[in-house]
Amino acid sequence: MNPVSSNYYDFFGLEHKLDLDLPDLEKRFYSLSRQYHPDRYTLKSREEQQYALDATAILNDAYRTLRDPLARAEYLLKENGFDIGEQGSKNVPPELLEEVFELNMALEELRGGDDSARPALEEARKKFVAMREQIDSDLRGQFTEYDRARDRNVLAEIRGILNRRRYVRNLVNEVEKELTGAAA
Amino acid sequence: MAYSDKVLDHYNHPRNVGSLDKADPNVGTGMVGAPECGDVMKLQVKVDATGVIAEAKFKTFGCGSAIASSSLATEWLKGKTVDEALAIKNTDIVNELSLPPVKIHCSVLAEDAIKAAISDYKRKQEERKPAEARA
Repeated sequence: MNPVSSNYYDFFGLEHKLDLDLPDLEKRFYSLSRQYHPDRYTLKSREEQQYALDATAILNDAYRTLRDPLARAEYLLKENGFDIGEQGSKNVPPELLEEVFELNMALEELRGGDDSARPALEEARKKFVAMREQIDSDLRGQFTEYDRARDRNVLAEIRGILNRRRYVRNLVNEVEKELTGAAA
Repeated sequence: MAYSDKVLDHYNHPRNVGSLDKADPNVGTGMVGAPECGDVMKLQVKVDATGVIAEAKFKTFGCGSAIASSSLATEWLKGKTVDEALAIKNTDIVNELSLPPVKIHCSVLAEDAIKAAISDYKRKQEERKPAEARA
């Protein structure tokens, strides 16, 4: 029994990269699932059974994290000391806060209005979704750049983009809530 | 998770929502945010000639605890001197609102907003000094 690694990349035997080959990841997942499947350990010692259970638990968490590009990026950032929880509000650029504040204000004005506000809400949704798509495209570019250069400055850049994405995701959710509420 | 009565009270009846003239040299503006949850909080103070905070306003987009924390902060700020305002700690807000551990960051955000608003006010006052000296 080799001790299993609790590091998600190491568990899968993968390089610590931001761009992952998803079909390859899936193949590795199924192969490891078979390897650690508790059914294969039923006749083994308690210790070995526990080992299989622990490995399976890590495997599932690791797969869930690595197959999702955003969760994967958060994981790799955390490994490298760019944890979102550690940075506090001081590292959010003021321009971003201003922008998000203004967008929220505009959304609030549309809120609770009658049906005449609907086209403006639809416009706002389009705008926020387009912003999210732009962010995702920026992220893909930065993923490639990091994997190529392994530059910590790129990680700092990605941290900023992910923060911005959280704000924009909230705006998308808010406007969608408003649109479905208005339709009811 | 249930909100405390005090949080609900501030959430349902937020105090001092609004904004002050950002360009006014006696107004300090603090804009802070928590990317974890996508909250953004604006807090403003207006300081009178004696250095006492005469008005405080806020506008927060975020969860109930973030709104309650900033609402409470503006209540506390009014009538305090600038230095007394800086002494407000996030733990005071946590205790007053009985915030659970997962919501402590909302009180940190409010403390950061107070500090940002005061430092903006101080910066504006510093900038004004040379102009007055020349006059």
